[in-house]
Amino acid sequence: MIQTAKRDLSAYASFFAMMPKVFMAYQVWFWVGLVLNIISMAILVYFWRAIYNDASTISGLGLNQTLTYILLAFIFMPLTAIDLIWEIGSNLREGTIIHHLLRPINFQGMNYAQSLGTLVTRLILQIPMVVVAVLLFGLRFPGDLATWLAFIVSAMLGFTVMFFFNWFLACLTFYTTEIWGLGVLIEGMNFFLSGALVPLVMMPEWVRSIVLSIPFAQALAVPVGLLTGITPLSDAPRVWFVQVLWILGMWLASSLFFRVAVRKITVQGG
Amino acid sequence: MPVIEVKELTKVFKIPKKEPGLGGAVRGLFRPQYENKTAVDGISFQLNAGEIAGYIGVNGAGKSTTIKMLTGVLMPTSGSVKVLGRDPHRQRVENAREIGVVFGQRTQLWWDLALIESLNLIAKIYNVHPVKYRLMLNKFTETLELDELLNIPVRNMSLGQKMRSELAAALIHEPRVVYLDEPTIGLDLIVKERIRDFIKAECVAKGMTVILTTHDLGDIEELCQRVIIIDDGRIIYDGPIETIKKRFGKFREITFETVEDVKGLDLPEGAEMLSTDDHKVQIRFDRTVSTASKVAGLVMNQIEVRDFSLSEPELSDIVKQIYNGALDRDGR
Repeated sequence: MIQTAKRDLSAYASFFAMMPKVFMAYQVWFWVGLVLNIISMAILVYFWRAIYNDASTISGLGLNQTLTYILLAFIFMPLTAIDLIWEIGSNLREGTIIHHLLRPINFQGMNYAQSLGTLVTRLILQIPMVVVAVLLFGLRFPGDLATWLAFIVSAMLGFTVMFFFNWFLACLTFYTTEIWGLGVLIEGMNFFLSGALVPLVMMPEWVRSIVLSIPFAQALAVPVGLLTGITPLSDAPRVWFVQVLWILGMWLASSLFFRVAVRKITVQGG
Repeated sequence: MPVIEVKELTKVFKIPKKEPGLGGAVRGLFRPQYENKTAVDGISFQLNAGEIAGYIGVNGAGKSTTIKMLTGVLMPTSGSVKVLGRDPHRQRVENAREIGVVFGQRTQLWWDLALIESLNLIAKIYNVHPVKYRLMLNKFTETLELDELLNIPVRNMSLGQKMRSELAAALIHEPRVVYLDEPTIGLDLIVKERIRDFIKAECVAKGMTVILTTHDLGDIEELCQRVIIIDDGRIIYDGPIETIKKRFGKFREITFETVEDVKGLDLPEGAEMLSTDDHKVQIRFDRTVSTASKVAGLVMNQIEVRDFSLSEPELSDIVKQIYNGALDRDGR
């Protein structure tokens, strides 16, 4: 048992470690992405400054607090793990999923390790954006350790929620055998529903209740809320508990869906 | 105990039926119509340890579907598969440890990574002992001439280079059962030869059980003692390669392009005229009775020949002839 776990862990570690190398394969893309990111960040900041022209606080948040939230949400965007849907979708389209299913390894575990590798890589690649946010837009990081710890735990839980949720969505491509439309739709929804655009507290009550009843916000708005102090630190255990419930539910749903969906593989060829 | 045991294996695909036109497309959205296509239709065979079997058939005959069921990625509609005593679909992970697979038309390597990175990762997944891995890697680097490939990403490789890499990736964990699905497709003769030599050396040396699908009769002749011919989802021949070779391997066809129209021709013994078109004559001859030079010489004496070509029988012709009872006539 322990032997097997050790063996599998070492395989998972290799999948994790592979992701930075995959990202390195596209250096040009890194620079293009950086420029695009700086432009997007500037648009968001000026958008919010314009809104605060007429008011000093909105839903109890001052301009600085909102900007801190928006900038941090921007930086921690990789937590939503949204590219998983493309990853699995293209695997299906190109039939490479067959090779993954032929490996003596848990497919979901392998993908989790890979997603984690992607997350760490992308967060590291966000460092230039942190510099830009601090130097150009005056981002101040919260200083105290307890807040950071609460954030990190919540971020990892939220990332896991989104991993299983994306997995669930990706299973839809088993049926549509088309990913582009689905992927673009989900990415667009994710941008708003994760809370990257507008802090949750500013949303009208009914919108917020919808947003909180679907998983998107768990990976971004919830942990970043803790980090910025919008959600008080004393709420952290409750937040974690809700996230753990989300993980259990999404894990169950995605595993069941995948088990059903995988029977449907009808890769071309005869 | 046989290594691979297939009983009454059947796979039926449900394929959405597309009706023509916009109206049809809209109707399909609301009430999709399906039609059943039986890709594999009740096949049974057994393979013993160390056997190398050629699994051949024309496009769409059901070869790849069978392979996918054998590997466990496709669930049979009915019938059973046992590989090393396991059900490959239910016990996917345990089964995966023991098998190696090459799909000639897809890659199992990581597109963006250098070959060596992919191999390292595969060795980790299959838990190959580092010392053993070194040994295998050195050997494969030599036999498959991988040294200049190890540091290039797969996306930058030519077809032949990719196939050599695929073979290394599929065999590095020394699987007991190997499935090769069209491993020589699209390759030139020299690369083909090299790959056949490698497969022969590796599989025979290690006593691997191999199923090889191909369109290339040359692959079969070089590598297999046994052939299974499948057509329209059913096995139409399962037996030694010798029988096929004796029956079909002795014929060759010569096609002549002539200057004038041809009426009749004197032919040597063992040769027969298959067809005459304007300026084109097709002649089949038995290699055990006559020779190409005899046929060509005699023909060229009678008419002016612009061009001629020599060809081996095509797989599809062989299948057609088996249907026409060619094998029964000769007695198996």
